[in-house]
Amino acid sequence: MARFPSEAWFGAVAGVFNGDDSYQGAGGGHCNCTAGLVIEGRNEGKDEDVVEEVFVLTFEGAECKGGVEADEAALDEVDFYMHMPRVDWREMLEDIRDHGHATENHTLNSLDLERDDGLSTSKHGDQYREDLFFRYNQTLQFYFDASARVKTAFS
Amino acid sequence: MSEAVQLDTGHELDLGWMDQHGQWDTKAEQSKYGLTLADIQIGEYGDAPVESDNQTGRPRGAAERPGSYRIGNYAVRTKSEIWLDNASFLYEEALQRQWSSATDIPWHTIEPLPDDIEQAQCTMDTFLTEVEFVAGDVPARWISQTTPDFFEARNVLLCQVMDESRHMDVFRKRALANGGGLMKATGGTAGVVGSIDLSRDFTEMSSRLHISGEGAVLTIFRMGELMAYNDAEKAIYRLCAQDEARHVAFGVMHMRYMAETAPERHEEIHCYLDEAERGILAGSQNPAGQFPTTSESMAILLGGGKKHFDEGRNKLIAIRRRQLSEYIKRVRSAGFGDRFDNGRSQVPEILADIAA
Repeated sequence: MARFPSEAWFGAVAGVFNGDDSYQGAGGGHCNCTAGLVIEGRNEGKDEDVVEEVFVLTFEGAECKGGVEADEAALDEVDFYMHMPRVDWREMLEDIRDHGHATENHTLNSLDLERDDGLSTSKHGDQYREDLFFRYNQTLQFYFDASARVKTAFS
Repeated sequence: MSEAVQLDTGHELDLGWMDQHGQWDTKAEQSKYGLTLADIQIGEYGDAPVESDNQTGRPRGAAERPGSYRIGNYAVRTKSEIWLDNASFLYEEALQRQWSSATDIPWHTIEPLPDDIEQAQCTMDTFLTEVEFVAGDVPARWISQTTPDFFEARNVLLCQVMDESRHMDVFRKRALANGGGLMKATGGTAGVVGSIDLSRDFTEMSSRLHISGEGAVLTIFRMGELMAYNDAEKAIYRLCAQDEARHVAFGVMHMRYMAETAPERHEEIHCYLDEAERGILAGSQNPAGQFPTTSESMAILLGGGKKHFDEGRNKLIAIRRRQLSEYIKRVRSAGFGDRFDNGRSQVPEILADIAA
């Protein structure tokens, strides 16, 4: 059992992802990017979410190197980062767990489209690097889909 | 056919050709990604010339063959005209990330849809088949015009042709898979899209095709998940979007290289962008633009049928906003963002109008 979010959880998912060759075909394949994950929480008394936890996921070629816990400053360096309230991350992962893969409006792309401020963004504003979220979208989706095979506890 | 030459006995083989070669003792080593094009950029083999005099199809780094006739009257022989710094990388990525429209789409998830939604979907399929035809046809023309010394860029374009042919077939398949069929040709390839093929210069073509055209279509593909009614359509749009993002990356990186190495062409590139921007919403090439057939189809798909047209139209306006804002950021990334700061481009105003 691994707790989401934690380095152990990202590592466990990377283990499943890296060990399944089917994720390298069907629109998957070599992927080279650093992606931030931001878990947001409600800032009591204010109408905005605050950053609670940050992780940086690294993909190199056919491999995911896992996720490393970082501070907010790391978001300046990543190609793009995905940010959602903790409750929405949980909903997405529970949908993946229940179906074996993301369904309906729980795919990363759908989540990006349906949120007013998107799921994926960057600090640097360079669209070339932000486009990596689209260019490698299937690989990113496969990675999170692989979490269906990792027993997950939520903090 | 002439008779075989009778050689005297004791004739020595002339193996002089063995001494005619490019740089010898070359030992490329694979990286963690396998043996990639980047790994074989060694010595003379890695030097793409600033100006190429290669008109004979000689592979870069091979020994010259004096007296050989021209097999290609290559028009693109100046590096800045077609080069981009990450061509090798994009090529390997394109090879690695291929998919099959026959087996990687869960076609079994498609179920009968209400007539208005099926007709709207088939209209989009017809339109996208038309547009992808052009997107494959146009770069193909330029491949044969480019010296083999710039083979990395050529190879990326060759992969693009493969990608576009898959896009053509996947939308055709979708149109024929659910009781509908192709609709009346939308004319999406008339006007601005058709004019891409009239480009006299590679960068002119690339700015229209990769930056303006494919950038807009990339947003449509991404938004496809909002228009999809089953997992098959979602997969189609998501996988096409990946390919399209790679093509857009080619355009952005080529323009960036051009901006850095050929500043004398800066104004010329701005003129190409001026032209492309004039049709960015008004022309028929952008289904999220103002062309009735395709924009109404999208509104019906986004809203959930004719009865929810207004709801769909609101989503369509959100798509336009994203298209334009992403376009601005891509052009900035390519090194031509000054046009948005000095008032030359009307796109920020259009974006502000849409937001209002």
